[in-house]
Amino acid sequence: MGSVASSSLKQEGFRYIGKRTPRKDGVAKVTGQMRYAYDIYLPGMLYGRILKSPYPHARIKSIDVSEAEKMGAVVITFKDVPKKKFNIRLVSADRVNYKDWEVLTDHPKYVGDYVAAVAAETEELAQKAVEAIKIEWEVFEPLLDPFESMKDGRPKIHDKILFGSKEITVKNNVACRLDYSEGDVEKAFKEADVVIERTFKTNRRYHMQLEPKVAVAKPEPDGGITVWTTTQTIHNTRILISQVFDIPMSKVNVKKLPIGGSFGSSIQTNLVTLVAVALALKAGRPVKIALSREEDMYEHSSYQMYFRLKVAARKDGTILAGELENIMDIGGHQIQAYPLLGCLLGWFVSLYKWKNIKYKGIAVYTNKVPACAFRGYGNPQITWAVESVIDELAEALGIDPIELRLKNYVGRGDLFWGQGPTVKSIVKSDGVPELLKKGAELIGWYNRPRSGEQKGRFRRGIGLGRGFHTSGAGGRISGEVIDFTGCILKINEDGSVDYITALQDHGGGSLDAHAKIIAEELGVPLEKINIIWADTQTTVYDVCTHASRGTYVGGEAARRAAREVKKKLLEYAVRLLGDVVNPEALSIKPDEELGQGVIYVEGMPDKKITVGEVAREAWQRNWGSIAAVVSYRATNSPPAYTVYFVEVEVDTETGRVRPVRVVAGADVGTVINPDLAAGQLHGGFVQGWGMAVLEDTPYDPETGELMCRGFITDYKITTAQDLPKIDDFTVIFASTHEPTGPFGAKGLGEAALNPVAGAVANAIYNAIGVRFYELPITPEKILKALKERGVK
Amino acid sequence: MGKVIRFRLNGRPVSIYVENNELLLNVLREKLGVMSPKYGCGIGECGACTVLLDGEPVLSCLTLAVEVDGKDVVTAEGLARDSDLDVVQRAFIEEGAIQCGYCIPGFILVAKKLLEENPEPDEDFIREYIRGNLCRCTGYVNIVRAIKRAAEELKFHVGKNK
Repeated sequence: MGSVASSSLKQEGFRYIGKRTPRKDGVAKVTGQMRYAYDIYLPGMLYGRILKSPYPHARIKSIDVSEAEKMGAVVITFKDVPKKKFNIRLVSADRVNYKDWEVLTDHPKYVGDYVAAVAAETEELAQKAVEAIKIEWEVFEPLLDPFESMKDGRPKIHDKILFGSKEITVKNNVACRLDYSEGDVEKAFKEADVVIERTFKTNRRYHMQLEPKVAVAKPEPDGGITVWTTTQTIHNTRILISQVFDIPMSKVNVKKLPIGGSFGSSIQTNLVTLVAVALALKAGRPVKIALSREEDMYEHSSYQMYFRLKVAARKDGTILAGELENIMDIGGHQIQAYPLLGCLLGWFVSLYKWKNIKYKGIAVYTNKVPACAFRGYGNPQITWAVESVIDELAEALGIDPIELRLKNYVGRGDLFWGQGPTVKSIVKSDGVPELLKKGAELIGWYNRPRSGEQKGRFRRGIGLGRGFHTSGAGGRISGEVIDFTGCILKINEDGSVDYITALQDHGGGSLDAHAKIIAEELGVPLEKINIIWADTQTTVYDVCTHASRGTYVGGEAARRAAREVKKKLLEYAVRLLGDVVNPEALSIKPDEELGQGVIYVEGMPDKKITVGEVAREAWQRNWGSIAAVVSYRATNSPPAYTVYFVEVEVDTETGRVRPVRVVAGADVGTVINPDLAAGQLHGGFVQGWGMAVLEDTPYDPETGELMCRGFITDYKITTAQDLPKIDDFTVIFASTHEPTGPFGAKGLGEAALNPVAGAVANAIYNAIGVRFYELPITPEKILKALKERGVK
Repeated sequence: MGKVIRFRLNGRPVSIYVENNELLLNVLREKLGVMSPKYGCGIGECGACTVLLDGEPVLSCLTLAVEVDGKDVVTAEGLARDSDLDVVQRAFIEEGAIQCGYCIPGFILVAKKLLEENPEPDEDFIREYIRGNLCRCTGYVNIVRAIKRAAEELKFHVGKNK
C-alpha cells in the first residue's frame, strides 16, 4: 500500500484488527452473484410504474383511471391509500418528527411527486397504463427560491402538517426553525480586533448512488407483507409500513440486501417502497417497482444552504465569536429538516471554540425535489463556509492558517456537541495536531506560493480544510434522536460462528469490521465468522446505518456479544477439561492450522480444547446453545477528525481546475480495515471534489423541472481520468485510541468528505487569489472572476 | 415481433426467443438469470451494464438482444474457471477495490479487455480506458491499483510459463 502511510498504524498485538484481509463479500461481488434489490424477481410478479406530477405545484381537479384499468392494470390513486400524514424517516423521536408525506397525493409539491401508480404483467404495459391515466390539473406558480417562498402572499406549499401527533399550520412556507445563543456576540464583535462577515450559497447535489431505488413487495397469506428494497434501515422500514397500512409488525418482514451505494439517500424509507406495498396489497400479487435513473434524480438531493457567517478574533488569533444564519432550501417535504437545524448548529459549534455563539436556522419549503442527508448531513456545507472564513481570518491576522486552527479548534477535553444540542460529550481522543503536522510536511505547506502572486496560464495552489464527523448519534441522555443497535451471535455446533445483525453495510466495510472485532474478542479465526443476510423478523432493532455509526456503535455491540458468548464457552470448557478451577483460568486464541479457536491454560499448552469441540459437546450432551443477544446504546459519539491538504492547478484560459495532489489525514482511532478505511478517504475526496467544482441540480424557472431532466449526461460526476495519480494521493492515519470505541475505533464515512470542499476552495484562492462564495466553483465562475479582476 | 437467437453465454450455448426491440441487458437479467450486468442509467453513461461481446466491452443497455445472434457474450459470472477466480477478480479483492460493488462487474470486464490490449499499461492509460465506467464509492484509487496489480501478476505468470 504505497500511498498509505502505514507507519502510523498502531495496531501491534492484534491478530485481525488493522490487518489487511479480503472482504467477506468480495467473491460474490466480483463474480456478479451479489443480489441487490434490483436483482429480485419473484414468480408471478407484476411490474409497477408510478404516475408523477409534471408540474412543480398543482392540485388534481379530476382523475380518470378507466382506460388504464381496461388495459388490465391494477391502479391506485390518492383515493386508495391510507389518509394519514407521516414522515418517511423515523430516526427522530416521534414527538419531534414533522409529518407532511402521503403515499400518493392530489396536491403535488414538486415535479416528480407521486399521484398514482399501476401494476401490470409487464413493465411496458404498466408504462402504457400510466400514460393512459387522465388528469385535470389546477396549476400554481412554482416557488423555487427559499427567500421568495417565505414572502407574504405566496402559494402555500403545505397548510396543515403534523408535529408529533399535533396538527400545526405552516406559515410563509417555513417548515421549521431553530434559534440559539450563548454569551454575547454583539459585545464580542465590538471588542474584537478583526471581524469578518460573509455570505455563502451551496449547491443542491444529487447522490448519484449507482443503484436507483427499487422495491419489491409480496403479500403473504396471513395478511402480511414481505419487502425487498433499497434501504439503510430495515427496521424503520418495517415500522413505517406497519404504521401506514395498519399491519401488525409481526406480519411485516423487510429483508436485508446489499445496497448499490446510498450516501444517505435511503435513511428514509423511500416512498416507492410504500407504493409497492399498496399495489401488492391491492393486486394480491408481488409487485416490483424499479425506478429509472431519470426518476431517481427526482427522488432526493442534498440540502441547499444559504449562510451568513460573521466571526471575530483578537489580534493574537483567539476567536471571540461566531454568528451563523442558515436558510435551508428543503424542497417539497420534510425528511430531516428539523434535526438538521440542530445538527448544523452542532457541526458549527464543534468546529471551533467560538465562545460567543448566535444561530438562526430556518428550513423553507420550495417546489423542488425533497432534500435529505447526503454524506455528512450538512457538515460539508458548513465546513466549507467555516474553513473559508478561517483562512480569511488567518490572512487578516497575519497568522499561519494551521496555527490559527490549532489555537481554536475543539479538541481533547473540550465539549463536543456532534449531532445537535441533545447529544453532548467530552472529546477523549484527538489526532488533529499530528495530522496537521504530518500533512503539512507531506504536501510542502510552508513552501506554498503566496496567494495571487502567480503568473502564467497554469497556476497551482495548496489549500487546507479541517473537519470532523461524529461516530453515531449516541449520548448520555435519550435526547431527540433514536440511536441504538443490537445483534445476535451464536456458536454453531461445529464451532463456526453466525453473526446476525440488522445493521446495513453500504459497502464501506462496517460488517467486515464487526467480523474482525468478533474474531479478535472471541479468539477464533476470522474465516469462521459468518455474516448473515437477515431480515426484520430474525434480528433485533438497529436504527439505521448513518451518522458514521456502523463501526463505532455496531462494532461495540458485536464486541459485547462476543464477550458474552466467550463467557459461556469458557464455562463449558471448564466442565470438559475436568480439573481447571474456573473460566478465568482459560484463554482462547485462534489456531490457523486447525482453523479453530483453541481454549487453553496459560503455561500448560497440552491442557486445551477447541471451540469446535466445546460446541459439539454442548450439543451432544444437551447443555444448550452458546449464543448471545445484545441491544446496545452508545453513551458517546466521538469526533472522527479529518484534515485535507489539496494542491490544485487552475487553467486561467479555460477556468478548469485540476486536482494535482491530495494528502488525506484521518483520526479514526484504531484502524480496523486499512484498505477499506483508505477507500473511504479516496471516495470521500472525490465526492467532495464534485461538490467543490462540479455538481449541482439547477431548475428551469418556468417549468420547475431539473435542467438536466434527470439525465446523468448533464449531471456529471468525476471519472477516473479527472483525478490525481495513485502516488499523488496519500492517506495518513493518526495514532490515536478512542477509549469508548471497540478496540479504540471511531467512525469515518462522513468525516472523509466533510472538509474537502473547504480545502479545495482554499487551494483555488492560493492559486489565483480569488475567493468564491457559491458552489460549485465552475470554470465559468472562475473565468468571470478573473476577467472582473483583470487578471492576466 | 421477434425471433429466436442463438449465442454463447459464458461458454454455454443459449437459444432464446427475444422481441426485436428487447435490450440485451433485460434479456440477460430477466430471461437468463444473469444478474451481474447492472442497470445504472439505461443511456450508456455509467458502464454498470458492460458485457464482453466477442471480446469487446459493450453497453448491454444500448445493445439489442437480436444483435448478439451467433456471437459470444461474457459476463462477470463467466470469468471464474471452476472455483478459481480470474486474476482481475482476485486483484480487485486483494486491493480493496470493492465497496458497494454495483459497478464492479462492469469495471472487471473493461479491465479484462484493457489488459488484453495492453499488458503493460501505465496509469494514464488505465485511467483513460476506464473513464466510461462510473464509481461513486471508491474514488477509483484502489480500482486503478487493482488493474495494475493484475497486469503485474499476468506478466509474472507469462514469464513463468516460458
